[in-house]
Amino acid sequence: MPKKQAKSNYTADRGIPGAFEGETVTRRRFMVGSAHATGAIATSAFLLPALGFALGPIFEEHEQRWQAVGGVDDFPNDSYVPKTITIADNIGQTGKSTVYIRKRNPQIDTEPLPKGFEDEQFVAISTRCMHLGCPVKFVSAAERFICPCHGGVYNFRGEVDGGPPVRPLDRFYTRVRNGQLEVGPRFSVNSELDRFSPRDPGEPLDGVGQYLYPSRPSIRKLDSPED
Amino acid sequence: MPKLKVPAPPIPEPLKPRPRRPGAPKQKPLDAAADAGAHVVDWVDERTSLSGGLRWMMFRKVPKGTNWFYTLGSATMFAFLSQAVTGVFLAMYYRPDAAGGAYESVRHINDDVFLGEFVHGMHKWGSSVMVILVFLHMARTFFFGAYKYPRELNWVIGVALLILTMAMSFTGYLLPFDQRSYWATIVGVNINGTGPLVGPYLSDFLRGGAEFGATTLSRFYAIHMMLIPGAIGALIGAHLYLVAKLGTTAPPWLKAETAEELREERA
Amino acid sequence: MNRQQKEQYLREYSTLKAQGKPFFPYAVAKDGAMACVVMLAIILMSIILGAELGPKADPTTTTYTPRPEWYFFFLFELLRVIKPPELVPLATIGVPTIAMILLFLLPFYDRGPERRPERRPVAMIAGIFTIAAMGYLTYLGASAGSPTTIEAPTPARIAALPADQRQMYEQGKQVVAQSGCLACHKIGENGNDGPGPHLTDIASRLPAQGIERTLINPTAPMPSFKKLQPEQPETFRAMVMFLGELKGDEEGGGSEGG
Repeated sequence: MPKKQAKSNYTADRGIPGAFEGETVTRRRFMVGSAHATGAIATSAFLLPALGFALGPIFEEHEQRWQAVGGVDDFPNDSYVPKTITIADNIGQTGKSTVYIRKRNPQIDTEPLPKGFEDEQFVAISTRCMHLGCPVKFVSAAERFICPCHGGVYNFRGEVDGGPPVRPLDRFYTRVRNGQLEVGPRFSVNSELDRFSPRDPGEPLDGVGQYLYPSRPSIRKLDSPED
Repeated sequence: MPKLKVPAPPIPEPLKPRPRRPGAPKQKPLDAAADAGAHVVDWVDERTSLSGGLRWMMFRKVPKGTNWFYTLGSATMFAFLSQAVTGVFLAMYYRPDAAGGAYESVRHINDDVFLGEFVHGMHKWGSSVMVILVFLHMARTFFFGAYKYPRELNWVIGVALLILTMAMSFTGYLLPFDQRSYWATIVGVNINGTGPLVGPYLSDFLRGGAEFGATTLSRFYAIHMMLIPGAIGALIGAHLYLVAKLGTTAPPWLKAETAEELREERA
Repeated sequence: MNRQQKEQYLREYSTLKAQGKPFFPYAVAKDGAMACVVMLAIILMSIILGAELGPKADPTTTTYTPRPEWYFFFLFELLRVIKPPELVPLATIGVPTIAMILLFLLPFYDRGPERRPERRPVAMIAGIFTIAAMGYLTYLGASAGSPTTIEAPTPARIAALPADQRQMYEQGKQVVAQSGCLACHKIGENGNDGPGPHLTDIASRLPAQGIERTLINPTAPMPSFKKLQPEQPETFRAMVMFLGELKGDEEGGGSEGG
């Protein structure tokens, strides 16, 4: 097969009308290019900052802190006590959430505690259903968490008993300071109650789940209760 | 008593009433007003040539046999206009403040503002009416086969409008900031979050952070007030242009009969 | 459609159009009348139904039952009926996305020249099926009760009982509802279909003693009500009594099921 003859770089050689000697791009083509380039630069000059402005919060770290919720003796180990904590600032009541807290019971809570958290004595469970985030209620007669939206049910430890939720209820880190129980940031758990950085509801963490729904830069897992 | 002579006011020359031409009929004020109107229209048209486009749009022919089902599209547009206008006026009183100002301002609209609950109600129920009309309009298009050649692109634009309308109702119902608004938004944002890989980032974007915070409400407000209405307006323009250009479809069952009649006439 | 069919359509259409009437004022008058009807509907709804504002948003609630606006009921019900956790992304993202793509591409896969509804059976059946499915899901979503209330008429048999018995029945109904039984069981039109068995006619399958035994000593994952019996014997007895009266005969009529 004959090799295709390479085109000359010079407009004059290619027989383009109005070509000049030694010219590689015609005037017209140059102007077309300039029109596109200037248009693109001017548009991106307002589009990119605006987009960055809107997307910024994705990369901004959410501020989390420890909050005292009551004395250590206020919480039994066979039932939950609801407590209100603040999870978002500057919006008053709207930034609060309810957490169900009880003492850790070695007979029920058989899962090992991760490194750095061996001293944890309490279990603090989030009231957000892990199907799509509705407010679950702890029913003491049945010792179950029940979601009013799409029929999710969790057992006493917050593990899924029935319905569509994809993982056990999220939990919060706890620590004891000066006889007060403090509740810290939220974390998510898979069905073995292994801890992961906080995910949104509806995102499973078993199997490939933790890779399909990656951890976000906006909210991270704690390394130790001193953070 | 000597008659008082009023001095003539200093009217500039071009504005002075011209003497009537001999033989011309006396012009009544009404005719003069009509003349003036025609002059203004002529003046604008001379500089814009809009009348051609208007004539093309308004005096195009609509095929025989079009019936009441064909009014659903314009009714949807009308509902959108009503939503746009009531929405602008609601925005005059509304405050997108998640700390409690939003709920308070809607309560203020309902309880204190003159006609407040009425306008709020029009906007609220108008959204339901618009959703119903969009679906009816789409059903008409589907059952009449009106999405077929040459109107495929118009169907695609229509589906985009349907999605935008649903997005509009979704972002709208966070704004009153009552229990239903709040939890529906939580669920809606989490639904977006279940998309693999991009989902978590998408819900962060919608919330403006990892948790429902101070900026979430204003984000929804901006999307509801400006982003989507702008897009809907632009797409309605394109939709209408295509309707006018390609013509309204004839009812599908009419086609054969008319053709037969024609053949008979020719014979 | 091939080129010939396209040309034929355009030819026929231009004939029909030529026989038509101008858009203004004939079609515009109709559109205007319809716009008046639309505005009348909106204004009447606004006056009659008002713009009720619910209780203020409260993220700390554990008792509120969230429900969407009616036009999202079909999506809400879809999320309720798709139970297995592995299928959740299908219900939330999958089905709606697929439906939207199918809708967008409709003119590209349905390319036949035929436009008359009676000669497009596949399209008609698909369209009517979609509308019926959405209507049915909307209906189910609208009638979905809270998982912590039982809406069912009190049978005539119970209404005929003395007042204290009747009160016990009502108390039992409330206890059963608020204990979360409906999360796994179905009673009449209330509650979830599984994983537990239907309780609508449990009394005709199991005597009251059997029900009591099951409540105290259930098979997993059902929770035990063992602690309730000594602590609140009244409540426990009411619960057993209510369940013992679920014979399924009244609910069978299904006329008033919530």
